[in-house]
Amino acid sequence: MKKLLLKEKWPELWALLAHEGPLYLPVEEGSVVLYQLWQEGVKVNLEAVNSTVSPKDIFLPREETYLRYSCQGEMLDLEDVESDEPIIAFALHPCDLKAIEMIDRVFLNQDPPDALYKKRRENTTVVALACRQPDPYCFCGVFGIDPTDAPGADVMAYLTEKGLLLEEQTAKGKILLEKAAPLLEVEADETNITVDVKTQDFGLQVEGLPEDLQERFNDPVWDDLFRSCLGCGICTYVCPTCYCFDVEDYGHEEGGERFRCWDSCMFGHFTQMAGGHNPRPSRKERVRQRFMHKLCYYPETYGEIACVGCGRCLRSCPVNLDIVQAIKALGGEKVG
Amino acid sequence: MGKANPLMPQTVTVLDITTETPDVKTLRVAGKEGIPFDFMPGQCAMLSVPPVGEAIFSITSSPHCRDCLEFSIKRVGDVSGVLHELVSGRQLGIRGPYGNGFPVDEMKGKDLLFIGGGIGLAPLRSLIGYCFANREEYGHIDIVYGARSPADLVRKSEIGETWPEQPDSTVYLTVDAEFPDWSGHVGFVPSYVSELAFTPENRIAVTCGPPIMIKFVLQALEKLNFAPEHVITTLEMRMKCGVGKCGRCNLGSVYVCKDGPVFSLAQLNELPSEY
Amino acid sequence: MEEQISEQTVKVKKAVSQDLLGGRIDLLLGWEKGHYWWQSRPLFARSEKDLERLVWDSFCAVNLSRYLQDELKENKKIGVLVKGCDARAFNRLLQDRIVERERVILYGLPCPGMLDYARLTEEGGSDLEGIIEQDGTVILQTKEENKEMPREELLLARCRNCMHPDPVVYDQMLFTPLGDRERPEHFKAVEELERLSADERYTYWEKELSRCLRCYACRQVCPYCSCLECFVEQKSPRWQGRAYQPSENFMFHLVRAYHGTGRCIDCGECERVCPVGIPLMELNRKLIKDINELYGHYEAGLDPEQEPPLLTYRPDDPAAFSEK
Repeated sequence: MKKLLLKEKWPELWALLAHEGPLYLPVEEGSVVLYQLWQEGVKVNLEAVNSTVSPKDIFLPREETYLRYSCQGEMLDLEDVESDEPIIAFALHPCDLKAIEMIDRVFLNQDPPDALYKKRRENTTVVALACRQPDPYCFCGVFGIDPTDAPGADVMAYLTEKGLLLEEQTAKGKILLEKAAPLLEVEADETNITVDVKTQDFGLQVEGLPEDLQERFNDPVWDDLFRSCLGCGICTYVCPTCYCFDVEDYGHEEGGERFRCWDSCMFGHFTQMAGGHNPRPSRKERVRQRFMHKLCYYPETYGEIACVGCGRCLRSCPVNLDIVQAIKALGGEKVG
Repeated sequence: MGKANPLMPQTVTVLDITTETPDVKTLRVAGKEGIPFDFMPGQCAMLSVPPVGEAIFSITSSPHCRDCLEFSIKRVGDVSGVLHELVSGRQLGIRGPYGNGFPVDEMKGKDLLFIGGGIGLAPLRSLIGYCFANREEYGHIDIVYGARSPADLVRKSEIGETWPEQPDSTVYLTVDAEFPDWSGHVGFVPSYVSELAFTPENRIAVTCGPPIMIKFVLQALEKLNFAPEHVITTLEMRMKCGVGKCGRCNLGSVYVCKDGPVFSLAQLNELPSEY
Repeated sequence: MEEQISEQTVKVKKAVSQDLLGGRIDLLLGWEKGHYWWQSRPLFARSEKDLERLVWDSFCAVNLSRYLQDELKENKKIGVLVKGCDARAFNRLLQDRIVERERVILYGLPCPGMLDYARLTEEGGSDLEGIIEQDGTVILQTKEENKEMPREELLLARCRNCMHPDPVVYDQMLFTPLGDRERPEHFKAVEELERLSADERYTYWEKELSRCLRCYACRQVCPYCSCLECFVEQKSPRWQGRAYQPSENFMFHLVRAYHGTGRCIDCGECERVCPVGIPLMELNRKLIKDINELYGHYEAGLDPEQEPPLLTYRPDDPAAFSEK
């Protein structure tokens, strides 16, 4: 049974939920939309289909401190830093949730599970928002994703003329809607809440591509595809399925903290060894690594291409060296 | 709680530091109750000294040594640099063990040929110690070890005295060029291996050293008709997590930190040659 | 204008194909269409077949001279299509001895400014289907009705501030130069920031820079960021930490801007590529303005023979830091 939250009551809901713990939702700042913490005065944008940067940072923050150290003389003291706050992730789109499922396989299902990520996943209640209209960059249909359904979410939300229709999908979702109950209307207009969202497909045909690529590490395609790459990290940072990270210390000899933060396989120092050797010395090897990881290595282990067709790399890559261009260059196109 | 987070180190104390060569030192470290964790030869550990950071090193000691872990470390970067400067009594962070380790069970009953170069002896030394501790399980043991100069040979008392005295084993040492104080063999490790003409029958070769040495050792062993399944090496990559998540040490879909660092030549032949 | 642009594309193709097919150059750096009508991406053309894809239209924003640093390692002689800003970028690389002049052939393209898709959809809606260009106006084609707008209002921010649309260095100018432009509002945003108090400015930049992902796209496209090793990656000492702290954000952006003082050619590529919309040109223009005020008017990239002010010394140079 879906319940309606009238538009005029949205701010009340944000305030109510934010009171429970950190509430992340799509916030408009100038030309960009980012999942940010709600606070009084932010401009929430539920119409935007795809945020500029994926919401993966709710679960895998750009930076996350996990230990504090102090050093006195010879003694080193290492202390866990943990956060147990209940988090609410609001208005995540089905493609981004599919991407989280892909990261789950690496961070939760592969032994040992990643404790920091696991905690955030467990502590987060996810409200998914069905798409009504695709962005020109969307191509989730290529990967069989239904943009109006997110099975992994705790609450499913639908945008209507009047407001948001909310429906619980899990026990966590039930708790969340119970908290919101005073703001919700019981009678909901359920006409036309799911629309037939057709994304473009660029003529892509990805079936069989991962298997095909297993023999193509030394394919001549790689000798040219990388040329326009600038070597920046935009594609990896906006991408919902990229999860590489670095670990660094912040502080001085006597005390400080250790954190992990996003890193990018597009950067030269990513694989640079202390002695100077670099197994991926140029943009060619790095571009190959990124696309092979998405299109061949990940599917080899988990059975699915690590792309959800969110289109962020199509929008943000300054030279349009996006995954669609890569798939096309590698022959992943429909014949005829 | 620390155990739950695989990135969380524990502390160990430096027992002593020995200078092996101008750029290699051996650290012996221990927790309150000896070794901080059990491990197998060929596995690695992350050592950290804040605020400089963490780096991964192979464990040099044999698992039979319960009092402490040993790390023979070459000074190449920030972390190895600060480790060289530590003094006994100082605490540092450690987590591990990481990686698959050498296939000590598959090696049982076989003659063994260890081929090391320079600091590449570090992981081999753990395995050699393990094999000597379980002497009856293994056949004849040959150790070929070389370095640029006599001064660059590490673990001198072991390669010069302890190992040659072990039953049914031979140690062959070599240096790259003539030196006044060196009366032993002169020449690169790969050509010494060819010269010694080891037979492949019932023998497993394990090699570790600089990439260029490994490359030519593999070629030499191929010429001596060693089957790729019987040639084992261990790889080095930049690593940050040690548990197959941070994304930088993969060869195709295989992660060196987790699925390696030990691979047979047969396995490597199936993987992208990105190392 | 669409027709006219196509004619221009034909003319560009004709000019470069003689040189490429005749072997005068080994590689031509140009543009081709991306997936969308509003995207044109770099083209690395080596053959007649490659050249078929060449395009010169209102979306060729990417500065191609940035690729010379790497491509000259593999090619003897390279042809590059250059707009006004790209030509100034080339001079920058020349001045930094990153490229050798005699190994590059520059085809000059007087540039009317590149269109901004974000502006187009702002005016025409997100379901904008296409545009038609006619003599300085753009017709936005939407599902319902067409909307006509002055072209000037739909340009990328960087192009709205461009004073030198014509290439200042070239081997062959392909079209009639457009002439320099007055931009009275060039320093407007900087002047507004200057009027704020130091605390207000700090708050402003702390917020803007808080979005920084440290993707380094600004650095990677920048013609003044041609250092073989950037301070960001240097390890001993380690200048730049990876933490997403205000101090580290300021460290990166301020040090980069200072490194560009007197060297920034005012092309605005950094701002165009920034995925999170940080107004980086406000930092760069502040330093351009300061240089102008302290050492006399100077525009980097216009003349490779003219020494950048911070690379020369005159006894009467003002000592601004010690005076204040």
